Amino acid sequence: MDATCPSCGAGLETPLACGACGVLMLTEDGACPFALLGLEPGFPVDAKDLKTRLRRFTRLVHPDFFALEGEQALAKAERNNALLNEAFAVLSDETRRADRLVARLGGPSEKDLGSMPQAFLMEVMEWNETLEEASPGSAEMLRLSSELTEHRDRISTEIAAALTPLPQPGAASLAGVRQSLNARRYVDRALGRISASAGPA
Amino acid sequence: MGYIELEVLEDQPKRVVIGIDLGTTNSLPAIWKDGRPEILEVEGEPALIPSVVHVSDDGTAVVGRTARARSMDDPAHTVHSIKRFMGRSLGELDEAVLRRLPYQVTQTERGLVQVEVGGKRFTPQEISALILREVAAQASVAMGGAEVLSAVITVPAYFDDAQRQATRDAARLAGLEVLRIVNEPTAASLAYGLDQKEEGTVAVYDLGGGTFDVSILSIEGGVFEVLSTNGDTSLGGDDLDALLVDLLRSELEGSVEGSVFDDPAFRQAARLSAEKAKVALSRDPEADLVISLPELGVNARRTVTREEFERLAAPLVERSIRCCERALKDAELEPKDVDEVVLVGGSTRVPLVRAEVERFFGRAPHTELNPDQVVALGAAAQAEVLMGGSRDILLMDVTPLSLGLETMGGAAEKLIQRNNRIPCSVKEGFTTYADNQSAIDFHVLQGERELAADCRSLGRFKLTGIPPMPAGLPRVGVKFHLDADGILTVSAKEESTGASASIEVKPSHGLTEDEVSDMLEASFKNARKDFEERRRVDLIAEIGIMLRHATANLTVAEERLDRESVEDLHEAIAAAKEARLCTELELVQAARDTLDRATMPLAAVLMDSVVKEAVSGKKLGDL
Repeated sequence: MDATCPSCGAGLETPLACGACGVLMLTEDGACPFALLGLEPGFPVDAKDLKTRLRRFTRLVHPDFFALEGEQALAKAERNNALLNEAFAVLSDETRRADRLVARLGGPSEKDLGSMPQAFLMEVMEWNETLEEASPGSAEMLRLSSELTEHRDRISTEIAAALTPLPQPGAASLAGVRQSLNARRYVDRALGRISASAGPA
Repeated sequence: MGYIELEVLEDQPKRVVIGIDLGTTNSLPAIWKDGRPEILEVEGEPALIPSVVHVSDDGTAVVGRTARARSMDDPAHTVHSIKRFMGRSLGELDEAVLRRLPYQVTQTERGLVQVEVGGKRFTPQEISALILREVAAQASVAMGGAEVLSAVITVPAYFDDAQRQATRDAARLAGLEVLRIVNEPTAASLAYGLDQKEEGTVAVYDLGGGTFDVSILSIEGGVFEVLSTNGDTSLGGDDLDALLVDLLRSELEGSVEGSVFDDPAFRQAARLSAEKAKVALSRDPEADLVISLPELGVNARRTVTREEFERLAAPLVERSIRCCERALKDAELEPKDVDEVVLVGGSTRVPLVRAEVERFFGRAPHTELNPDQVVALGAAAQAEVLMGGSRDILLMDVTPLSLGLETMGGAAEKLIQRNNRIPCSVKEGFTTYADNQSAIDFHVLQGERELAADCRSLGRFKLTGIPPMPAGLPRVGVKFHLDADGILTVSAKEESTGASASIEVKPSHGLTEDEVSDMLEASFKNARKDFEERRRVDLIAEIGIMLRHATANLTVAEERLDRESVEDLHEAIAAAKEARLCTELELVQAARDTLDRATMPLAAVLMDSVVKEAVSGKKLGDL
């Protein structure tokens, strides 16, 4: 990051607050989650590094450290910490991260693509049939579960490959990523139904 | 004001923030001192305040030990365990709990719970405020008179928005600013100094008087993160007592009229006897349940072995272990991943509880600190952070319950998921269904269920001031913010015109802003007594400061004072020390005035030397 602190001039790691003098910055809603965590946009994210950043930056913006500094500072801290938490949530979730990148690069949205290919929908109908008929814990259900998990892994690998390195803005490949993301939603829904049918947690 | 001048010799005392464990059974204040948290003590004893309020028919309320002492003879005027009612409506309260109460519980038209004692109705917030007032007063005495205006208060991690808000309102009614509401389990691990750990996972098992909580925390380089919380708001030490009360009842069955069991005096005596036996059973292999109420024809002794008690208690303990399982599952961990287990709450002294916790987690739990004190100690540690003393400790919390809105078909749409980090904000867009519609109603829910009716209603919000426009055109952005304490605030803006829409809040279980103001006003108006009590506490605080200065300065300047003044002062100091425990305003006032007069000669001597030093310093500088 090349931005500097308006208060003390030190380099800024995050637009939320200055690590050197501690001043809180005003950040607009919808700021780029990568920027908030001091990262360049990109699909691969090191989970451990992300967490270290979250902790480091939370130390700068957590409301507890502004408890006696008046309502205004406290409100700003609440807000900046909420932005930080939201950015972390987006970046630590593969789907949300990919979704942001596709949108950022001008790719199609979930609805832009229209319906999924016929063959895929047929497959989904088969899963649903098994889900309706097979009893929880049965061999059939277990087979479906492992099949879906495999399917999910395959889609994830495709998405990661298509987004690493990041394609050019507006690239045609973005539509493929969006389709994979949509497909994964179906898979996740089915997997969710399996774990729900296995009984309450 | 002889002592005021003396303050030039010392730094101004900094603002005091205390930690308060506002418990179901007892409340306890603690403070950070000399680099560690410390339980505040009065007369060498922890300033433990039983969370009990007694209200006489003339409306006089007493709190704490005195109230608990009266509960035996006068149970119908004594309120226990009010924490169970905080932020709840009548329909949500456990009927078994209500049945055991020796007083009436009613609700207002709006559904707010009220307890009826001494011919007056009190909301749980008001009862809790009385307790907090007493805690602050005792803390003030313990600190030699420093005024207590701000506090960190702990709540079960499982508390929802309404319960947290009720706690905050109670503090406001007590004249305390709540700087932070901290989850009890988090406080407990702070007390154990687990923030010093390089890295690890901690399970906090908190079996309090009225609630059970388990939290799984991760600690890394001083950062606390609540990974998950689970619990049961109707499982606690009181339930263990109830098992023993049931034993007593079956012992008496047949020998007394059934109506005796509903007699408030019986219920209270049975409860106290059960509590005593429970404590004894943690130590001894057997104990006696004894009850003797000649006026009711009740006289019984029943020996209980630990084995029998454990057999009865096993299902309750089992329920707590199931919560531990769920908490671990949410944190995606196995029992073996837990590095430390912390016990909180007096009931964790029950050997069966310790054994089951150890069996489940596969390791011995921490028992070094008093399980009744760990939460208050941790609150004090957090108070130090808030006073700007340290950034070493950082609590990163999660919300225990999902937050959502009721949609058209009565379904609950989740906006913020359970275990989401807080603070957090969510923005939702709304529009109108009819032309020129100027208001939108919505219903905020908390809970995990799919249907709105199965979730807990937090409140109804009415968005007004939408400019007249065709249906579907306005774009109203509503921002839901869960703050670091887990309390919700809602704000709104009409985005197409920039007109600010306003939000009217109707909490389902809490006090409105107006109600809090009214209660505050009423408490000012009503109570000359309150005023006098306040004045007394202030005077005691003042005496504390005076004593501190007088004793300190006396050792420095004693030889420069005439003998008579020294004697006067010693006498006045002794009298003032006694007066701090006095309940009569006039006597406290007199002691303060005497001390004030007696310190004047000392002040004069000291001022003299200060001036001399200052003057000689100047001369030195001039040279």
